[in-house]
Amino acid sequence: MTNEEKYNKAFIESFGIEKDKLNGLKYQDVISWDSIGHMQLMTALEDEFGVELDIDDITDFSSYEEGKNILSKYDVNLNV
Amino acid sequence: MQKLEDVVIPMQPTSISIQLLAGNENYDEIPYLKPLVPFDDTVISFFDELSMILMKHPQGRDFPDVITFGFFIRKANIKRQMKSYTCLRSNVGRGVSFHIAPSNVPINFAFSLAVGLLSGNACIVRVSSKSFPQTDIVSDAISSVLEKSKFSDLKRYISIVRYQRNNEINNFFSSLCDIRVIWGGDNTISELRKSPLPPRSFDITFADRYSFCIIKAEEYLDMQNKKKIAIDFYNDTYLFDQNACSSPRLIYWVGSAKLVSQAKEFFWSFLHEALIDKKYKLQSMTAINKYIASCQSALDYNNVEIPKVLDNLISRIELKNLPADLPERTCGGGSYFEYTDDEPDKLFDIVSRKFQTLTYIGYTNAELNSLFIGKGALGIDRIVPCGKAAEFSLIWDGYDLISHMSRVVSID
Repeated sequence: MTNEEKYNKAFIESFGIEKDKLNGLKYQDVISWDSIGHMQLMTALEDEFGVELDIDDITDFSSYEEGKNILSKYDVNLNV
Repeated sequence: MQKLEDVVIPMQPTSISIQLLAGNENYDEIPYLKPLVPFDDTVISFFDELSMILMKHPQGRDFPDVITFGFFIRKANIKRQMKSYTCLRSNVGRGVSFHIAPSNVPINFAFSLAVGLLSGNACIVRVSSKSFPQTDIVSDAISSVLEKSKFSDLKRYISIVRYQRNNEINNFFSSLCDIRVIWGGDNTISELRKSPLPPRSFDITFADRYSFCIIKAEEYLDMQNKKKIAIDFYNDTYLFDQNACSSPRLIYWVGSAKLVSQAKEFFWSFLHEALIDKKYKLQSMTAINKYIASCQSALDYNNVEIPKVLDNLISRIELKNLPADLPERTCGGGSYFEYTDDEPDKLFDIVSRKFQTLTYIGYTNAELNSLFIGKGALGIDRIVPCGKAAEFSLIWDGYDLISHMSRVVSID
């Protein structure tokens, strides 16, 4: 699986949504991306990429696109 | 009595049943288990696996407290917590911790288990005799993780038990422990203190506490996310039927009468909407208790105003001053005292040892720092944003639990 596929999988499984919803998706755009869903997404991403996200990054992680920028700080290249 | 060298341990009571929910039933061996170092690798790994099960649990959405616990115990967070503890190299667990969990916060037992294990101790955790789905969800998950062979040794360090209130059993577990962690308030503490402890053992007690919220009206009115604030306030209060020690019971409004009045309209209206959305169920008994609390306050205090409300979900009692005995009034289920002032200073007139959590809306850290730190108040152990009242921390009620529950071995 490519990094991007892993990234998408985390969103799809945490929120129970389809892949076509991902681009432009922001926190609270879907009911399942509430504070509970957010914790689930963060945990899934930490597991998937073996990283430990900073508390500030968890707070700033507000969209599908923003998340990619954040993960690049942890040497996770999501354009592959 | 069974004697082992100098140690005398009462035999386990056989007449009353102790239900084992997860872990080790061989209580007699527990005092002889080797203590662990704080933040032991196997313990961290155990909690990480437990976290994975809980975060993906099919009932997770119904029980946000289970998800919150799962999020807290995941490896990334435990490692983050570890960074605050740079001087634990000479620390080791004290031995056995006996935890008495409260009946008002179902997930509390799990946090108590976490601090017990993370500080290096075997844990006997008595859960509430009241049945909660969260208790079953977490205990079942613990059992399933402990089935893995890599945790066969750790399994001996964990006993999650349930029994009806019983002095004999309390005596038995108290006699085995090095630390007794008592949640559940003043009455539970009195009850457990009837059971003697061995000479070097001690209690960590979580007594009745009082919590409140401060709201700066002007800032609140400017906020765009009032709906989210209402949900945050709900999570601090109604999620536990306003019975958690950190649930606010008093709201201190700061601002002019006009601004506060406007702010209150929005605040209570959004909260009511949230209660309807979440289908909050009010028990009849609670509705009556709240009504009695309102009437009693009107009788006992001067110039009390009981604002008109839509239904029984939210009860409000508006005060013209802050009486010293306010912390004695702890009706739950959505009963709020309100006080308005131009300045926050009057708070200090009533803050006592009983005050635990202050949640805030419309304040910055810097403002709060200058208000509270260094004023020498006897109370207030933590100041957190609205929504985080029940967020657990390894430092709780003024105790640094990891340090308290481990011992230092000094080597010269």
